[in-house]
Amino acid sequence: MMGLPGKLKYVSISTRISILLGVIILVTMGIFSAISLIRQEKDAVDTLNRSTLLLGQTTEKILRLSMVKNKRDDISTAIRDIVGSEGIRSVRILNHEGIIKFSSRPSEIDRHISRENHLCANCHTHADSGAVHTVSSFYSYHLDQRTGIIYSSLPIYNSPSCYNGDCHTSASTGTASGNRGSTLREVGHSVHDSSETILGFIEIEVTAKHIMTSLARSRSQLIVLTILIALAAMAVVYFSIRYLVGSPVNRLVDGTLRVARGDFSGEIVSGKAELGVLADSFNRMQKQLLFTQSQLIESERLASLGKIADEIANEISNPLTGIIIYAEGLLSHAEPEAPVRADYETILQEGLKIREGIRNILSMAKKEKLNFAPVDIEALTDHAVLIVRKLSNFRNIRIVKAIPADFPKARADAGLLEQVVLNLLLVFSDSMQAGGILIISAAHSETDRTIEIRFTDRQGTIPESIVQALSERAMPPEATGSARTTISLSVCKDIMALHNGQIYFNSEPGNGASITIALPS
Amino acid sequence: MATDVKILAIDEQDIILSSIRKALTSCGDVMYSITTVPTAMEGLRSIRNSSFDLVLVDAALPGMNTSETLRRIRTTSPSTALILMSGYISGTSIPGEISGYVDAILSKPFTTDEITSLVSRILVERRGKER
Repeated sequence: MMGLPGKLKYVSISTRISILLGVIILVTMGIFSAISLIRQEKDAVDTLNRSTLLLGQTTEKILRLSMVKNKRDDISTAIRDIVGSEGIRSVRILNHEGIIKFSSRPSEIDRHISRENHLCANCHTHADSGAVHTVSSFYSYHLDQRTGIIYSSLPIYNSPSCYNGDCHTSASTGTASGNRGSTLREVGHSVHDSSETILGFIEIEVTAKHIMTSLARSRSQLIVLTILIALAAMAVVYFSIRYLVGSPVNRLVDGTLRVARGDFSGEIVSGKAELGVLADSFNRMQKQLLFTQSQLIESERLASLGKIADEIANEISNPLTGIIIYAEGLLSHAEPEAPVRADYETILQEGLKIREGIRNILSMAKKEKLNFAPVDIEALTDHAVLIVRKLSNFRNIRIVKAIPADFPKARADAGLLEQVVLNLLLVFSDSMQAGGILIISAAHSETDRTIEIRFTDRQGTIPESIVQALSERAMPPEATGSARTTISLSVCKDIMALHNGQIYFNSEPGNGASITIALPS
Repeated sequence: MATDVKILAIDEQDIILSSIRKALTSCGDVMYSITTVPTAMEGLRSIRNSSFDLVLVDAALPGMNTSETLRRIRTTSPSTALILMSGYISGTSIPGEISGYVDAILSKPFTTDEITSLVSRILVERRGKER
């Protein structure tokens, strides 16, 4: 991935985009303005030239009429009048030898213009100087960029009225030397020969200074306008990005820095657009992190608790084994009616309760250590019943099993599942203190691929403690039932969740109360 | 008909050893000859010196790793049934790392019925395998 060069990486995104936009606007508008100004200048010069051409053609017509009538003064008067018009600096008429015959500047009359003059040289050298623009065969001009003056030249072509006319006879005393093929005419005859093509030129100087000044002003205005537009666009973009992008991004950055410091408090407030979605994602991520952190802390706490529970369980299990086995020994040797028998039963019963308590704690602390294998449900329930039948609680309870002989095996952790069965038996022993029949039945659904084990007290109802324990995820501190029931059922719920199974109760008047565990077959 | 079955129990705790002796000797059908030792080394020495039908060994013996203890017992006497007693394991499933060595797990605290029925079942299974 390419990085930003040097110090540019420290420049904010709003500044970078603003500068880029400013450069783009300056370049684009600069090119556009330059093309526009060049075009405007060309159009203005063209318009001026057309006007000058019309003026030249009018002057030529006046010249022809005046010459045929031999009224030279009319020509001079007309030239003076023309020069009085705005922008026209001078008008002069030259013959083909280059001698100025008429001019708005009287001092120029009879002066000779050499062929090296820029307008003459255009034809006489037969080379395009590059400075003179030939608009047509009868008009050419030269623009002096420095002074803003257009020097235009209009040829006076020979015509029958010129070489046949009996004109300016009184003035035909001038020389005609150098005139190609011409001969000096006698008085009363025309001075022009029919073989001559061009008899002279009309030269007009027109100033384009006001146009050049106007164009220069336009150029300055365009430059200033372009810069102002670029600066305004840069400012708008800069502040827009700062407000619309920079501020939300800064809030996100502050949020990430806050989270990096381990502070998960507070949320980033933003809109509903892209950055809003990003802020929402960040907030969700923060919540997830907080949740994960709390889970991690809880996991560590449970892991520590698990280690402590392991050690305590191991320490207690050895003496407790002795208590249980010695109590069983004493009980087996006691006479049926001996008064101490009840004492031995109490010792054994409490010993077994402690054992189940220890196993519940171990089950809660070792949730992750599952060992799934096919489990024979009938053997598992037999073993659980074998354990609890010695308890005095079960003296008045008859346990009836209704599990089909060919019942399929469940895939489960046998130890944990037996823990669930034992816990449920003990829960029912608490609620059936008056005695009764506890039915353990099992059902298998091929369609749902589930196995159900149901514990039913036909005469009973579900105590409130069981309803609360099975309804709430956490153990409610104000639970009205016995703490042991709550803990036992909480362990059952956790173990069934680990098996992707369920535990639920059912209590209908007349049909008794039941708790069912369901797990995948 | 009474059958003399030789059992070795290895556990650091006297209460466990005496409880095993009491539970198994109270079983009327089978006559158990029970030897008890407190350490793994003494247990291994006993196994080398005498043959046993079944060994009950604690999972937390001092001085030797559990897996190593089980491996050595199994190597020394391959035909002897082996039951691991543990206060750390709440179920009856055998953890993978020792599944090749032991025949069953006996979770502590255990009852008389649990130890007698387990010992009987394992011995029957062993005899079935030997045949």
